[in-house]
Amino acid sequence: MSTGWRAQPERGSRRLIQVMTWITLRLGRSVTRWFLYPICLYFLVFSGGTQRISREYLQRILKRPPGWKDVFRHYHAFASTIHDRVYLLSGRHRYFDIRMEGASALHAVLAQKRGCILLGSHLGSFEVLRAHGLFDQQLPITVIMHEAAASNLNAVLHSLHPDIRERIIPPGTPDTMLAVKERLDRGEMVGILGDRVFGGEKGITCDFLGKPRSFPEGPFLLAALLQVPVVLFFGLYQGGRQYEIHFEPLADGIHLDRGRRSDSLRPWVERYVSRVEHYCRLYPYNWFNFYDHSDDARASHTVV
Amino acid sequence: MAPPLETGSSTQNELEQDLARLIVESLRLEVLPASIDPSAALFGEGLGLDSIDMLEIALALSKRYGVELRSENRAALASLRALTAHIAQHRTR
Repeated sequence: MSTGWRAQPERGSRRLIQVMTWITLRLGRSVTRWFLYPICLYFLVFSGGTQRISREYLQRILKRPPGWKDVFRHYHAFASTIHDRVYLLSGRHRYFDIRMEGASALHAVLAQKRGCILLGSHLGSFEVLRAHGLFDQQLPITVIMHEAAASNLNAVLHSLHPDIRERIIPPGTPDTMLAVKERLDRGEMVGILGDRVFGGEKGITCDFLGKPRSFPEGPFLLAALLQVPVVLFFGLYQGGRQYEIHFEPLADGIHLDRGRRSDSLRPWVERYVSRVEHYCRLYPYNWFNFYDHSDDARASHTVV
Repeated sequence: MAPPLETGSSTQNELEQDLARLIVESLRLEVLPASIDPSAALFGEGLGLDSIDMLEIALALSKRYGVELRSENRAALASLRALTAHIAQHRTR
């Protein structure tokens, strides 16, 4: 039933997304970026639920009641990063001005050949990092994410890059984590977004910007079981054609207390959350987790 | 590619019991090992395990039997029976 809920409303739009992607590539970024204004305006008028989430978040981060301009800016940043995915996935990542912070720390971790979990969030753009990994092959990144079937947008965007499917591990199958282990054993990186709990997944409730929110313990448990380091990343959109990717080592290894697992994972989850909050404050309009926790039950039955 | 089971069925049952115990112990499940239906699904609906649980089972099996489960061995992850057959065929200790 949950798959029906996910797939149905989006089905009609695949053709539209294909057409828009084609136009985006034909006319180029500077022209098609103008389209983002009417699109964001449309969503400003017609997206009640999303706007409620955006306003509630903006209120907490800006510490003042957000106006429609704030919501518009929030939507526009989000739309920009999706628009840019078309160029990033079709090999035009050099068009962007991408700055890296902390890359040497990441390389030091990778030099140990133990693999590493790259833990991200719905803050900023994940694609900017993946494009780096895909096109500059010294950074092979595999990501755990729902494949094309779950999203028309991803189906169309992923078709822009022929090899991308080999770099995606779908969550919620019996062998998901075995596939993850194989990549890590080869010394590669596996990317996970750590700020969204799916249906039956175990979560740890932490304070996030002054409100309790559940975060998955899975990525941390995985790091502990396989004894691999965790590095945080944030692909922040700074406007124009500028992105900044931050890497921060989080844990060299996570120790698990038998029988008191959640207790031993909690400090790591809290550390992660405090870094997400830190970057939220620096780039408040980069928070793209337009997803209401009260929707948890019907969002998905996926188990990671 | 169902591996042929040895004919002595009593040893097979024994291995199934060992594996059930190993699963319950390593995941600290609150069920009796003997109560696991050998043909029921381990993942999702059946025993209710998730993919991190499956990884823990794989790590425990590798330690105990020297068998490394890989993502291609998906069929072996289906049930206790399938897993037992796989271990019986590939175990090194």
